[in-house]
Amino acid sequence: MKLRICIAIALMCVLPLSAETPRGTVPRATADRYPAHATQSGTAIGVTLLTPDQVHNAFASDVNRCCLVVEIALYPAKDSTVGVSLNDFVLRVTGTDVAAKPSGAKVLAAKLQKKAVSPHDRDITISPTTNTGYESGGYDPVTGQRRSGGVYSSAGVGVGVGGSGPSPASSDVDRNTMELELGEKSLPEGAASAPVAGYLYFSLPKTKDKKVTHQLEYMVNGNKVVLTLP
Amino acid sequence: MKSMKTAALCLGFICFFLGNAIGQSATSEVPQTGEVPQTGSAAASQNTQPAPDVKPATKPDTETEEHHHRLHVRLGTIGVGAGHSRFSGPFYSPFWYGFYPYSLSYSPFFYDPFFYSPSYAPGYFGGFAYDVDKGEVKLSGAPKTAEVFLDGAYAGTAGELKNMWLDPGAYDLSVSTPGAMPFHQRIYVLSGKSLKIATKLPQPQSQSEFQPKPQPTTTEEKP
Repeated sequence: MKLRICIAIALMCVLPLSAETPRGTVPRATADRYPAHATQSGTAIGVTLLTPDQVHNAFASDVNRCCLVVEIALYPAKDSTVGVSLNDFVLRVTGTDVAAKPSGAKVLAAKLQKKAVSPHDRDITISPTTNTGYESGGYDPVTGQRRSGGVYSSAGVGVGVGGSGPSPASSDVDRNTMELELGEKSLPEGAASAPVAGYLYFSLPKTKDKKVTHQLEYMVNGNKVVLTLP
Repeated sequence: MKSMKTAALCLGFICFFLGNAIGQSATSEVPQTGEVPQTGSAAASQNTQPAPDVKPATKPDTETEEHHHRLHVRLGTIGVGAGHSRFSGPFYSPFWYGFYPYSLSYSPFFYDPFFYSPSYAPGYFGGFAYDVDKGEVKLSGAPKTAEVFLDGAYAGTAGELKNMWLDPGAYDLSVSTPGAMPFHQRIYVLSGKSLKIATKLPQPQSQSEFQPKPQPTTTEEKP
């Protein structure tokens, strides 16, 4: 019983805290834990480009349809703060002029919202039926004639016409939910005195060429940091 | 329960045999309808061929009598069914004022410290049933008796909520069971999509580890 009381008390303490939904993700222990990392002006930065599978597992929204997702963690120097702004980040295809700044959650949610199904679209269901039986014979109840028995059969087709259901993630509520998810998981902006992490979404064309790499450019205190993403 | 099912099956078979008997008696009346031409009905008179009962006099009357009693068996649609229904009624506890869980009032004679949630999650009473504009959440990995909370409100046990359909939106999902650390995760439900949540309820090393840790990422799958 004491254990149950402890759990109840712990949940009572935690649930109000959970109402304040934290933004971003949990940063790894150090910037070194990220595939690409650097330190500039005392601020360490760790970056990783999520694979489509990782994006699929990390988001309920189908973010793979619109953009590349980069997880970024910033580690300010001790007793100092760092200003985090999405405008400080640029993702560039290595060796080209193709580059993009992070997209906002609202814009992405609008992109990801699927078109609703037209009310004129209908689902048609066809149900064929067949029956086979055997009659032993006797007298026709109407004409009174004697008739022999035999196998009889019948066939028919049932057709049902109805409206089709809405396509997934097409309503305005879905759009708001996607916007909420993308916003809550994105890198929090503002002054940070402790490590922060989150996702940035870049609307760049996807390529299946594995040789293509990307570079993340980050401006910190007027200095440019370039990280090559594997 | 078993005896009721057996009784229902027996009832189904009785109905089946009764139906056959009635069907046979009905078809045995067919030759009697053949007697109608004998009385000179219009239908028989319009028929160019002689009616079977209006036979030449050379036929013996005994044969005609035999036709009257011939059974006419017709195979048609045969349906056999058995059903069973049971209404247990709302559970009534003498320690509660009213019917649980329709009454939220606490009894002064009964207090469960674990029942701390003042409200129930949306869908608790109506059920987390499928609807076209809802999204599915699949829970796995938690014991059947683990308690599930949505946005802090009690939703049911993990055994009951393996599949639940929720309105689109963001929810704070919590799963707790005695002797394990509670699981907490923020989930995002989209209509027509399925979300798979693998709950992990690790055993605490000590009481101080009862503080839940945030989950880094969600484990989600879509159909």
